[in-house]
Parts: sequence; structure tokens; C-alpha cells
Amino acid sequence: MAKQIQIQIDNKTIQTEEGKNLLQVALDNQIKIPHLCYHKKLSPTGACRVCVVKIEGQKGLVMSCTVPVSDGMKIIAFDEETEAARKHTLEYLLTEYNPENDGSYRDEVMELAEKYDIETEVKRSILDIRSMIPAPVDDSSPVLTYDASKCIKCFRCIKACDEVQGKNILSYAERGITSYIVAGNGVWNESECDGCGECVQMCPTGALVEKPHRNEIQLDSLERKVKTTCPYCGVGCQIELSVKDNKILRSDGVEDVMPNDGRLCIKGRFGYDFVSSKKRLTHPLIKENGEFRIASWDETIRLIAEKFIEIIETNGNKALAGYASAKCTNEDNYIFQKFVRMAFGSNNLDYCTRLCHASTVTAMLKSIGDGAGSNSIEDFETTDCLFVTGNNIIETHPITATYVKSGARKGQKIIICDPKWTPLVKYATLWLQQRIGTDVALLNGIIRQIIQDDMIDRKFIETRVEGGMKAFAELKQLVEKYTPEYTEKTTNVPADKIIQAARIYAGADTAMIATGMGMSQQTSGTNNVFSLINMMLISGQIGRERCGIDPPRGQNNVQGATDVGVSPVVYPGYIPIGDDENRKRIAKLWNTDYESLSGENGLTTVEIMHAAYHGDIKGMFIMGENPMVTDPDLNHTQKAIEKLDFLVVQDIFHTETTGFADVILPAASFAEKDGTFVNSDRRVLRVRKAVDAPGEAREDWKIILDIANAMGTPIGQYQSAKEIFDEIAQAAPIMRGISYDRIKNQGIQWPCPDENHLGTSTLFLDKFNTPNGLAKLFPVEYVESTEQPDKAHPFILNSGRILYQYHSATMSRKNDSLNAFADESYVLINFVDADILGIKNHDKVRLSNSRGELETFAKLTDEVAVGELFMPWHFAEARVNRLTRSDLDPYSKIAPFKLTAVKIELLK
Amino acid sequence: MTETKIALKNAGKIAAESFTQYERAGGLNAFRKALKMEPLDVLKAINESGLRGRGGAGFSAGLKGKFTDESTCRYCGQKYIICNADEGEPGTFKDRAIMENDPHLLIEGMLIAAWAIGATKGFIYIRGEYTESIQKIQRALDNYYTEGWLGKSFDTDDDFNLDLEIRLGAGSYLCGEELTLIESLEGKRGYPRIKPPFPAQHGLWKKPTLVHNVETFAHMPFILENGADAYRKFGTGNSPGTKIFSVSGDVNRPGNYETEMGISLRVLIEIAGGMKDDIPVKTVLVGGAAGSFVSDKHLDISLCYDSMKKIGGVLGSGAIMVLNETRNLFDFMADIMEFFKHESCGKCIPCRVGTAQLALMAQEIKILDKVAINAHLEKMQSEAEYIAANSLCPLGASPIIPISSFNQHLKDKI
Amino acid sequence: MQIQDILKKHEASIDNLLMILHDVQNHSAQSYISESDIAAIAKYLNTTKAAIYGVVEYYSMFSSKPRGKYVIRVCKSPVCRMLGGQDILNSIQSTLNIPTNGTDAEKRFTLEVSECLGHCDKPPVMMINEDLHVNLTPEKIDSILNHYRQNKP
Repeated sequence: MAKQIQIQIDNKTIQTEEGKNLLQVALDNQIKIPHLCYHKKLSPTGACRVCVVKIEGQKGLVMSCTVPVSDGMKIIAFDEETEAARKHTLEYLLTEYNPENDGSYRDEVMELAEKYDIETEVKRSILDIRSMIPAPVDDSSPVLTYDASKCIKCFRCIKACDEVQGKNILSYAERGITSYIVAGNGVWNESECDGCGECVQMCPTGALVEKPHRNEIQLDSLERKVKTTCPYCGVGCQIELSVKDNKILRSDGVEDVMPNDGRLCIKGRFGYDFVSSKKRLTHPLIKENGEFRIASWDETIRLIAEKFIEIIETNGNKALAGYASAKCTNEDNYIFQKFVRMAFGSNNLDYCTRLCHASTVTAMLKSIGDGAGSNSIEDFETTDCLFVTGNNIIETHPITATYVKSGARKGQKIIICDPKWTPLVKYATLWLQQRIGTDVALLNGIIRQIIQDDMIDRKFIETRVEGGMKAFAELKQLVEKYTPEYTEKTTNVPADKIIQAARIYAGADTAMIATGMGMSQQTSGTNNVFSLINMMLISGQIGRERCGIDPPRGQNNVQGATDVGVSPVVYPGYIPIGDDENRKRIAKLWNTDYESLSGENGLTTVEIMHAAYHGDIKGMFIMGENPMVTDPDLNHTQKAIEKLDFLVVQDIFHTETTGFADVILPAASFAEKDGTFVNSDRRVLRVRKAVDAPGEAREDWKIILDIANAMGTPIGQYQSAKEIFDEIAQAAPIMRGISYDRIKNQGIQWPCPDENHLGTSTLFLDKFNTPNGLAKLFPVEYVESTEQPDKAHPFILNSGRILYQYHSATMSRKNDSLNAFADESYVLINFVDADILGIKNHDKVRLSNSRGELETFAKLTDEVAVGELFMPWHFAEARVNRLTRSDLDPYSKIAPFKLTAVKIELLK
Repeated sequence: MTETKIALKNAGKIAAESFTQYERAGGLNAFRKALKMEPLDVLKAINESGLRGRGGAGFSAGLKGKFTDESTCRYCGQKYIICNADEGEPGTFKDRAIMENDPHLLIEGMLIAAWAIGATKGFIYIRGEYTESIQKIQRALDNYYTEGWLGKSFDTDDDFNLDLEIRLGAGSYLCGEELTLIESLEGKRGYPRIKPPFPAQHGLWKKPTLVHNVETFAHMPFILENGADAYRKFGTGNSPGTKIFSVSGDVNRPGNYETEMGISLRVLIEIAGGMKDDIPVKTVLVGGAAGSFVSDKHLDISLCYDSMKKIGGVLGSGAIMVLNETRNLFDFMADIMEFFKHESCGKCIPCRVGTAQLALMAQEIKILDKVAINAHLEKMQSEAEYIAANSLCPLGASPIIPISSFNQHLKDKI
Repeated sequence: MQIQDILKKHEASIDNLLMILHDVQNHSAQSYISESDIAAIAKYLNTTKAAIYGVVEYYSMFSSKPRGKYVIRVCKSPVCRMLGGQDILNSIQSTLNIPTNGTDAEKRFTLEVSECLGHCDKPPVMMINEDLHVNLTPEKIDSILNHYRQNKP
């Protein structure tokens, strides 16, 4: 707790904390000391010399941004001398500065110049020297332009890139008055710039400006600016959209709010153009004779109702299934699950989470009672050790990664387990590169070492783990054979690294785990996460602040969808379907008969496809999902879909799935509706309408309500998304205390049991969410993957994500800005393997196995191990899932997207 | 008065590469003595000697060492020692003389200081252009390692040992300022840091660091061997000891001359052979480009920190650039302003724009008539005053020194 | 020498950057640090290209653009300028037929000016790569340049 002190600025007495930044204290107290290079997100620079003050007892002029306050300080901010100095400095700046403004940016220099009445040359007493200074323009980046003539060399962009984003790709060229900013070696689009735009947001002038829509955007004639949540990944960045003529022209990060404090990645900042794409679905479409024709809403809804009822009457309720959407709002998803349960009358309802974190959630629910992340995003910076496994966090959760990088700068230890190199390796203390599929062996090896070094947390085991030391003994016995040597042999990870990892993790004061698809998307996915949790429990690295397990969620609302009940096994709030009392309560809330709500678990995502293939499912309603890219074993999935009698697909674009539909419904995008998302750290965030949906496209929940009505099973009347959320809060106890009003400015993290509760930052501080409040150990043996390379298929294909595109790329590939960075499929192959096969960089290759084949381009690298390949799965022209298999993890029912045996051949 | 040699006592008398000759000339007596003393007593001796930094700022060496020593307890955490051999002040070439003639003396001085403050790792930051100095210092370092004085623990309570290595500069005047030097040592562009904190608390890699000029270190062996009182017998009360003056320009024998502090300019010029071709002095620039002009009326001034301050000037690095009556003062001034413009790092607005403005003005003045000249000189001075008051680092505070001294003393010479 | 061999001589720590840059430039036939050098150094030091490029650009001795095999740096400090420095500069410009910052057609010599080289007692002064030349006169220039033309291919 910092010492409370008192200072005076211009005779105003101010209470503050010792050591705080003087300029910031002044600004916080409405003393508007002018400044240019200072920004509260960045370390003070002292470059512009505008924030000058005088301090009693110190001689000369002092820059307030470089002063930590101490008790009794007397400061003069505004007097003749300081104002004269400020004006002089601004005049100097103006002699080298280009004031021409095309209206697309805010110019903090000219704002100050006007205040001091020196905005034109004739008002100044010093000569312009602009003509003597070459001021290059770098226009090479697809997303921004740098104009040195407007650059005031304030260092904000450099510090933004270094300190906030941890990327360090900017510096200066030359020295002195001819200095200018460069990215990389001086050509922006040849540098490591990934387009996050932090520098643009920090720039006080027009030196750095966004390129997209620059000639359309005029800041003083915008129609509105709307704060909402990014629709891409599960970080849930708060963005502010600038709108004119029903079009989004710019996206800015919203500062001073969680989770991102103004930071964005390229998708959040430049990925909004898909909203206004001409390819948007605008009218309902009905398939007739193999072709789609436009139909009216009336006709379409009636047809859908007719068909669904027909299937129920002929084949029973269980012959229908629904895929809800990790991209749609909680309100859309809540109505969807209500619809399936009330109108379809079954629990055959799931979504892409089954393809994603199913293993993680299954294991976590069983062992600690909650499948959601136990900590908050800011803890990623302050925890002492971060254990990252199967998660390419810099590319998939860029903003979470900025917290990690800040932590690394301050000495945080980072341990990575990944068969493939990821950018985080540059910041890591240790990288364990295990063979694909050997995670349980690796973790058991680490566990054994922790026990061997006696670094277990006995007190934790005894008081917070079911079975205490007895359960621990069972685990100890099982891991006994996983000596460093044995583990090295099995996993290819050197023994000394295994030992080091164990000591760092267990020895850290606080430690968090970030676990991703690498662990979850395997047939041993659940076991993988069990062994991860075992390691965490015996080390006592959970149940305290900055300790726990945090699976970064992939989609913007994959967390929320299950929270509000999209699941074949739980109701809203994670209460099991089999819980009769809860079903009674919900039935009352839904104003329906308790008996009509099925108490039987439904089918999961891939099981639904299997059932369709076998003719058990006849009809499907797919909302905002694209199984023809995302599901495993695509050829098989395709056959399943083709077998359906009736398929309704509701989306914002045509996708690889819509072509198979009988009816296509046009939906509103995230920017065209109100609602909420829930992000990775359980924060319920507002989504707000910024533009009107195109054509006849409508909010998903409104469409579903109409279908329910037409089917004769109305599921409620709601005038607004807010009313739906209020019902959600009733249905899901974890959100009971949350309302639109309360999350107006910043989201609240569930559990939030009542309206006075501030939300929960860290879970399990007192007890775990299991029936007895204790965590459970699940010792598991390593089992070799059933899919092994053989002579015919000598490579193991891994799949994953890249920064610039998003999942099945329905949205992301509709943005020129993102496509400019990455628009082509590729497969990573190790130099050694490529050499043997005679494959060179960018050669066309074919990957194949018994399930299917694809063609793509080769990229030679040392980022993957010999014998392993990696493909990003975003590019529909080379669908990785043609090759993947649908053998499922027995507990989580997830498909092993991470491990597929394939053959690779050079195509001539 | 004649030359009095402490830093250059061995120059020309021993082979610079020879460790044996260095020892025979009395080398390492001082360090051996220091090792037997308590570190605090070594610091006390330096402080009591009144030794002031010979780089240009003239800060008390004893105080600097004290701050670094007190930054953190001797046994916890790393401390560094750095020799600033970046000698970039125009007109200054004294450090080169020490490094080329008696490199072992410099290293002994560093050993003494490192022992005093508990630094175990050090760097000699030599400007990249000083080819011969680099070779000679490297040779001397190799000798010290071979003979077991570096890289080996001594028989002290804390197993004191020192590792020293050369690091090169690459053409930046600003990297001769101690905090910017540290930035350069950390592998970055030479931008000055905000002060405070000072290197004593927050230096290389945020650790306590003692930075001293070559000449300053070169005085420490004498002080330790002979005592603070012996040192004080030379020089003046406030500027004890000796100083190497680098004399250049219109004298017969330009070169380095080490004399007591307080020697008069007139005598120094005589020692340097007097004015070339007997053309009288017009002005002398004392202290380098960031130095002050004195006129022919000041020839009897005592060359020490306080006397220079009294006439509104500085001693600086001790560079003595002598200009005779034929020299064009505006040409000279323009070259000085060009220097600052070229060496400005560009970080802060007053200096970045200001040095460019001053360079422009210094060119313009060459074509003005008498009336306009005075107004122009006054404008240059007021701008230079603003720049000095508002810049981030000592470079910004420099142009005012030659400009104001020019206006103060040389108005009648233009 | 290949860049990787040069890098291996230095510990992979960012504070060795200036030493590495000197080493790379000294081994460069065109006295500079190329784009591919910068990429290799960045990788070796586990940092970004700008971190290297920005340093090359700041320090007067380094160049990111190709120069001649020999870089001539004529001192332009106030004393050298006062005592004949401009004549030396003019003389080299006319002999090699290049302006300041120019390189001759054979890519052998680049002419630059330098701040004070610390030999103000023997003006005018210049350096050619690591060699110092003092007490210059225009007459001495030709033979000095010839020495480089002949002895060092």
C-alpha cells in the first residue's frame, strides 16, 4: 500500500500516493498540463519538453512527466515562465512540422498550436526549416501509412510497439533533425509488423494513420461511434466502431477497460470490412431443383416449420438436431437452446466447442468442477510462472500474449510444451518440443520429478484434494516409471529440460497454465488435461490469486454459448440436464410443462454427424457454423449432410456448408445487433448495434422465435435483446447479478450471484466447484496414439491457426487488410524431410490418406520436427479436415485434429 | 611553471606494451596498497584528494564513488565500473595520450576504484576511431590477465576480482555522456536517459555503476600511493592535482601538456611553443566545442574550474584551441554549431530543432552587416538560452556556452 | 568470412551489438552492414531487425548502404577546418571525382567527413578505414590513395 501524501499544484492541494507520476496526478485532478510525448500506458520519455513545470526547491524548469511526487511538493504548472517555455517549444516543433490534415486523424500538435495562437507561420518568430528536412513517406504496409513530415519523434509508437505489444519492430533511421520512424529495415511491409495498429492508436498526429477507408473517413462528420466487442477470438477486446452512411470506417481499441485497455490485434482493428461486404446474405433462399431462389420470410418460415414438424411426426423428436454458434450472442444462443429443447423436444444440441476445448472442459469439470478459466487476463502479466501447452498464444490470443510479454520483461518464467515452434519461444525460459501425442508421458515425467524433488504442496493436497495423501500415493505409484530417461525416450524431450521444467513450475510462488488445442484436440485429449491438472494440484498452483488453469477460448462467444445452455448435457449455468429440480425451475421460467423438457442427454457435435450418416438424424438447424470446413473427416461429414432430409443454415455469408442446405436464412452480424458475449475470463461483455443489417437480414434470435411460433411451440416474446438477457440471468445462477445496466461501461466476470456482487476475478479461492468442494486427482497412463505413421503415410500432420485469418475464414477472408498478410494455404515441412523428398519452397504438393486428399504449397522451415507437418486450417481450398479422422476421445467426444497420418508428394 | 606529470608520468619513458617496465616504474604499488586498505578508506582518500572528474563536468570523484558504493551493500548484487574513453569533445586528445603511452596506468586506476566500490565487472568504452588506443589497451588488458591481476580473485574477505573488457563506440559524441554511454553499452541507439536516477543507483542493466573519464582513473594510483595531501600539493584549493591540456591551433608546438591545475593560459601557450609566426592571439576556446571563448585580455586567467566559472566560462575537457588574429570567428563558430547539429540525437524538441536553427543562424551571420550582426548574435544567445533551459541532456545545454562567451568577450573582435 | 562465422566469435547478447557490427562491417567488401547481415544478426541475438537497423543508422561509423572498400573520413572539426581541412576535402573530391558521401566507379573509395578525430595537434587529419593519416597536405593525397590502390587489392 503506497504512502498517502499531499502536494500542491498552482496552490491547489491534492491528495495522492507517493511515487506517482506528477503529470498523471495533475491530469487526474483536472490540471491540464499540455503534453505530447506522454501517454499513461507508456513509460515516460521526456522528449517533447512541453509538460514543463517549476518545483519549489529545484532550480530551473522540470518536466512533470519525469517526476515522482513526494510529500509536500509545491509545483507551479502555469505561470509566465512555464507558458513562455511551452510556447517556445511548440514554435520550434512547428518549424519542422507539416500541419496539412486530410481530416482522417486527430492532430494534437495543431490543437496545442491553436491554444497558444501560433498555428500559422506568420504568427511565429522562428523560421520554418521544413524544406531542409527530407521527410519520407512509407506507404508499403497494407494497413497504415507513415508520413515523416507529420512525425514529432515523440517515441510513442516505438514504446507502444515495445512496451504494450512486446513486438519491438520499430526504431529510427538517421539521427538528429533528419530522424524518422522505420519498421524493420525501413520498408514497413518487409518488417515483422503484424498490423496490430497499436502505434497508430498511440500516434498524436497524422504521422501514422490507418489506410483502409482513409479517403472516406472525416472525423468531424462521423455519424456515430459505437462501443462493442470484437467478433473474432475469445479475448473479447473492447472496440469502438466509427460509422458513416451505415458503414464501419474504423475500429479503435477502447482504453481503460478490461480486458484489452485499448490494445487490439490486426483482426480487431482491421477485420470489420466483412460487415459491409457485397457478398452478405440478404434474403432468405429456398432450394428448388438444385438452385436457390429468393423467398419471402413468410414463405420460408412456414416451409421450415412444416418440414421440422413433419420429421418429428414421422421419426420422433430425436431425429432433429441443432448446431448453435460460438459467434452469435448469448441472446441468440439462449433462444436457440430454448428452441431445440421446447420446439424440437430433445437435447440434440451442440456446437463447435465440441471440436475445440471439449477435452479441457470435460477434464476440468470432473476434477475441479468448472470448465472456465480460473484467473483473469491481467494475471497473465503478474503470475511468476506461465506454463503454456498446446497454445500458440501470440497468434491465437494476441492481446493475452501482450500481458504475457510484459510479464516476461519483468522476469516471469515461461515454459512451453509444443511440438511446433511458436513465436512465444522467443520469450520463453524453456521450450519442450515433445513428439505429437506424447503429452501424458511428458506431464507424468514432470510430475514424477516434482515428487522426486519433494516440491509437492503437502498442505494443499491434504486440505483441498479429495483423498489427500492417499490419492496422491496412487498418482505417485503410477508416475514412478516415468523417469527422466524413460520420458525422454518416449517424448524426445531431453531429460534435463524435463527436470528443469518441473523445478521451475513447482518452485514458482504463483503459476498459471494456459492450455489449448494442442492438448485438447486428441483422442487422449481428456487424459492430456487430467495429467496437466494432476501436475497443478500436487504443486498447489491453484486456489490462490494468480494461480490456476486458463484455457484461452477460441471464439468470441464459445464460452458464453455453453454458459447460456448450448449443450447436450447441461442447462444454462452448467446445471446437468439430469437435475430434475433445476428442470422444474426452468420449466416454470419458460412457462412450459416440465414433462415436455427431456431429461435425457443429447448427442454431441460429431455424434450428430455420425447419426445423420446412419439415418438417425433426418433434419438439422445450423446457426453460424460451417461444419463442411470445421468437422473432422470431411468426406464422411459431407455424406452425412447429404443424407439429411432437411437442412436449414442460418449465416451471414454463403459458406462451404450453405450449398448443401434446403433453406438459407440471412442473419445479422455482430455489428448489427445488441447483445452480449462472454470471453475467456468469464467476463460478460456488451455487444452493440452500429449499422443496419443489409437487405432482409435479421437478428438470429428473432428468426428463431418466428420459426418456433410457426411450429406452434412459441418460446416467448421479447421486445429486445435486453429482455432476453434478463431471462438468462434468471436461468443461470452464475449470471444472476448481471444486467445490461451493470455492464454498461465494463463487463462483469461470472460468477456474479447478485446485483451487488462485483464479479469474480479468481476462482476456487475457498473451494472447488465439485459436490464436496475438493479437487480430484485422475492419474492416467500414457497410451501411444492409435494413429501412427507407417510406410504408406510416413508423416504426422498437425493443424492449427495463424494470426491473420480466423477459423473457417468466413469472416476474415472478406477483409482485404487481412488477406494482404496471408491469403494462401501452405504446409510446413522440415528442411531435412523436404530435402529427401526433393521439395523446394512454394512447390505444390499433395497430402493424402485413406480419408481424402488436398493440394497446397510447401513452406520449408525448422519450426516443425522431422517427420511432422503443420497446416493452418483456415483455407477452404485446402481443407485439412479432408484428411483428419473422427475417432473420438471417449470422454469429451472430440476429434483428434492434431494428429493425422498422411503422405506428402511433390506435384510436378 | 612547467609540466608536472601524474597521468603522463610514464609517457615516452617506458614501452607502452610492457607490463614489466610499467611495474619497474612503480606500477601496481598503488593497487597493492589499496588492497590492504578498507574499501571505505580508499574512497575516503579519493574524496579527500579533491580529485574532480576530468571528463568535462568536473564533479567530485570521491562523491561519485561514495554514491555508487552506498547504492547497495557490497555483497548483494552486481556493480559495474566503466571507463569513458569516448573522447569526442572537439579539440580534446588527452585521453588518447594516456591510452597510447601508459595504458597500464588506466587499468590500475580502474582496479583501485573497482576495489573501493565492490565492482567485479567493467568496461572500457573506447571511441571506434581510436585504432591505436584500442590495440594498446587490449594488449595491456591481456598483460593484466596473464599476470593474474584481472580475472583472478584476490585474498580479500570477499574474494574481490575484476573482469574488464573493451567495448567500442562508433561515432557519436553524445555517447561520451555517461548515461548515454550506458545506453550504448546496452546495444542501443545513443539516447540520453532521464536524470535522476543517476548511474550510481541505476546504471548499466539498472545496476549501480561508476563511470569515470580516462584521466580521472589515471590519477587514482598517485593518490593511493602518495596520499591525498601529496595530491593536494598540486593545483589549487578547489581544483587540486594536475590536468592534461590539449593545446591546438595557432601555436608552434600543439600537443598534450600536463601541468598543475591553475596554470595561466599565457604560460601554457608558452609551454606549447608560443604563437606561430608570432601572430598575436585573438581568442582561445577553452573546453572544446562545449567550451567558452576567452579573449586576449584573459591570458592571465588561472586554468581551473572555479576561475573559469567566475568569468562565466567553463574549463570543460581542458581543450585549448588557440586562434590568432587572422582567423575568421564566424567560420569557427559556424563549425561549432554544425557539430552540435550533427551530434544531436534528435530526441528532444529544443535541441533537435534548436541546434539546426543555430547552425542556420551561424551560417547566415557570415553575410550580415555590422548592425544586423549584433541583433543576430543576441537572437542566437536567447535561443541558445531557451535550448539550454529546456533540453533533456547536456548537449542541449552546450551551445549557450560558446555563444554567450563569444558575446561577452569577443564582440569587439568581429 | 561468412556472417555466421563472425557471429560465433561473439556471445549472443545484445550488449555485444556494436562489437558485432564493427566486426561485420570490417569484413565487408563494401564497408557496410547489409539487409541480410541485419537479419542474421537479429536472429542470432533473438531480437528484431529494427533493433539492429536503428543502431546501424544512429552511429556515424556504420553504414546500412554499400560503400567503397575504403572509407575515407576527413576531419571537419573546427581546428582541422581552420588549418587546411577543406583543401584536403577538395583535393580528394577532384582526384577521385566524387562528392562528399560519394563512391568512385570502382567501388574502391568512399569519401565522407567526420567529426573531431582527436588528433588536433597534427591537422588536417583523415582516416581511411582503421588507418590514421595526419599532417596532410593536398600533395600527399595522391601517394596515400595509391598505397591503397596498390597494396591492398
